[in-house]
Amino acid sequence: MASSSSSGLTFKLHPLVIVNISDHYTRVKSQLSLPPSLTSTSSAATSNNNNNNSNGGENNQNPPPRVYGCVIGVQRGRTVEIFNSFELIYDPSTRSLDRSFLEKKQELYKKVFPHFYVLGWYSTGSDAQESDMHFHKALMDINESPLYVLLNPAINPAQKDLPVTIYESELHVIDGVPQLIFVRSSYLIETVEAERISVDHVAHLKPSGGSAATQLAAQLTGIHSAIKMLNSRIRVLHQYLVGMQKGDIPCESSVLRQVSSLLRRLPAIESEKFQDDFLMEYNDTLLITYLAMFTNCSSTMNELVDKFNTTYDRHSRRGGRTAFI
Amino acid sequence: MNLVEGLLTQIQGLSSTASDVLSLQNVLKQADESLHAESTRLLPFLDQLDPSKHSLGYLYFLEACTAGPVTTESASSFVLVIARFISSCVAEQIRLAPDKFISVCKRFKDQVLLLEEPLRGVAPMLTAVRKLQSSTEHLTTLHPEFLLLCLLAKCYKTGLSILEEDIFEVDQPRDLYLYCYYGGMICIGQKCFRKALELLHNVVTAPMSTINAIAVEAYKKYILVSLIHHGQLSTSLPKYASGVAQRNLKSLCLSYIELANSYNNGKIADLETYVQANMEKFGSDNNLGLVKQVVSSIYKRNIQRLTQTYLTLSLQDIANTVQLNSPKEAEMHVLQMIQDGEIYATINQKDGMVRFLEDPELYKTCEMIEHIDLSIQRLMTLSKKLTVMDELISCDPLYLGKAGRERQRFDFDDFDSVPQRFNI
Repeated sequence: MASSSSSGLTFKLHPLVIVNISDHYTRVKSQLSLPPSLTSTSSAATSNNNNNNSNGGENNQNPPPRVYGCVIGVQRGRTVEIFNSFELIYDPSTRSLDRSFLEKKQELYKKVFPHFYVLGWYSTGSDAQESDMHFHKALMDINESPLYVLLNPAINPAQKDLPVTIYESELHVIDGVPQLIFVRSSYLIETVEAERISVDHVAHLKPSGGSAATQLAAQLTGIHSAIKMLNSRIRVLHQYLVGMQKGDIPCESSVLRQVSSLLRRLPAIESEKFQDDFLMEYNDTLLITYLAMFTNCSSTMNELVDKFNTTYDRHSRRGGRTAFI
Repeated sequence: MNLVEGLLTQIQGLSSTASDVLSLQNVLKQADESLHAESTRLLPFLDQLDPSKHSLGYLYFLEACTAGPVTTESASSFVLVIARFISSCVAEQIRLAPDKFISVCKRFKDQVLLLEEPLRGVAPMLTAVRKLQSSTEHLTTLHPEFLLLCLLAKCYKTGLSILEEDIFEVDQPRDLYLYCYYGGMICIGQKCFRKALELLHNVVTAPMSTINAIAVEAYKKYILVSLIHHGQLSTSLPKYASGVAQRNLKSLCLSYIELANSYNNGKIADLETYVQANMEKFGSDNNLGLVKQVVSSIYKRNIQRLTQTYLTLSLQDIANTVQLNSPKEAEMHVLQMIQDGEIYATINQKDGMVRFLEDPELYKTCEMIEHIDLSIQRLMTLSKKLTVMDELISCDPLYLGKAGRERQRFDFDDFDSVPQRFNI
């Protein structure tokens, strides 16, 4: 299904489309995993909710839902620029597309963006499927050669590229039967200034994985791993020497000489003044950490106390917000 | 009697595995009424049961036996029996019927007090506490009983060992009030005023819906200990104290607040006249000893104030400022304070000059590192617990209802995440 396209068109994808698709998918997925008993009125809310959330987690074992929508943009010459997208209701089992909704949306978008027209459609999943061809053909009456933008929602931390692929359709002759198949095309990401700001915002909201966020942390991690390795190597040497002393390992003077010269190089500084200064600096760092933790803990405690007072104190001071003039 | 013997055989048979014990518990619950009916004749049957193996059955029998009124003769025999039971019973079986265990131990305490030998009850009660609590962070109803026995028997050190633990779970609020109040008194007895202040502070600021006598008494002692330890009393209670306490406590402890005011003025003569005037009031609250300590602490407070003004001072001047009788007394006071670590100074005996020094701690030692590290660890665990509690209370519908209701919307731009009405 995925060979490279030969149409020679250049595709430019705006990040708004990617954000829209991922938002659509996330919304649908989280709405699906909402446990049904949250709609009932239960008074012992929190513990029940905690239990139900664990049940809701099991619902995610079902295959994740696929979402569908249209992408719109401009085609100028050989460049196709995809600016925006909107959602559609499509049921793959019955292959029913809500035509009236699609037309209404097209009209609305035409009023605001007169130059844009429907360029194709999008969906989520790991790979293009046979059933997608039906939707593709259904859209062919709006656009003769629609595009298919596929977003892979599975999070793969090792992957460097965006999990977005754009497919075009081409008529190929397979086994003597002319068939429309999907072919992959390459694309570029194009941004406007406003989009750059929003992408930056989104990037900072996302929780960064395990990698160190700042340079300082990276450097300290490097030093830490280096020291850990040094420690483990010295431990190996120590075991070796102990074994040699016990007589399990035959004595080798050359190795012993090397070990002794290494050991003499190890302690870099060992003086009274160094100890003093080192301990003082260590203590200072610890005190700062302690202060930070203290502040953090006090602020949590403060919020907790406020909430507690709001909940349980019958005649608490009116805590409404003051006028904002 | 047949019923009792039948029960005995069942207990002996069904006490080996956990599931058997559960079924035994159901049997015993149903037979409880009839056991109580036969309470006077149950004592000889206890010999047929082994407390270390048949703890649950023994407990039910014991509870029924001791249900009647306590007399001095029966008290001495029961005390032995209960003490032996507490030391040999199995904790898992006991925790299946905690209220029975608590009532047995309470009666044990009453009997020990009736015999006027509280010391006999201290060790068994400590074992009982340890067996009943599910973790060291759990406060049971037996904790304050144990502390009461320690107070009456004057063995404060054993009480202190229990007080070292941090409490995170409480069964009943009354347990917490009593526990902290008695704990405060034990710490005062051991002169650990810092910990006493902490415990009494807990009673005074604990959530309470109506004012209770324990809090009032605790507040009186709190004022006195605060004067001894800190030399001042903060006039308002912190904002996490319940509204009830904030409004009512001060009016109920007026004479103590007056005492604190006259203490702040620093004039010893005024303080002493005030104390003399209100002697019976303080005496009726059993606080005379503390009040006397407050009076003697005012000298210390005045000397400490001097360290903030002077670098060196002669003993004669100290005696004059602090209204002591002679430089010799001043020297004694200063020496005592240096020994207790309350001030840093050197006394030059040749010319009778005292030189006040700075805190010599340089924060360079390994012990200090360990100390800070431990504190950081404790803070981290506390912080985690607090975050969990914060999240729980944020989801509490009671809180959300009140938070949503109290808001006032002013214009449409004031977007708020809490809706006005919250229907779940």
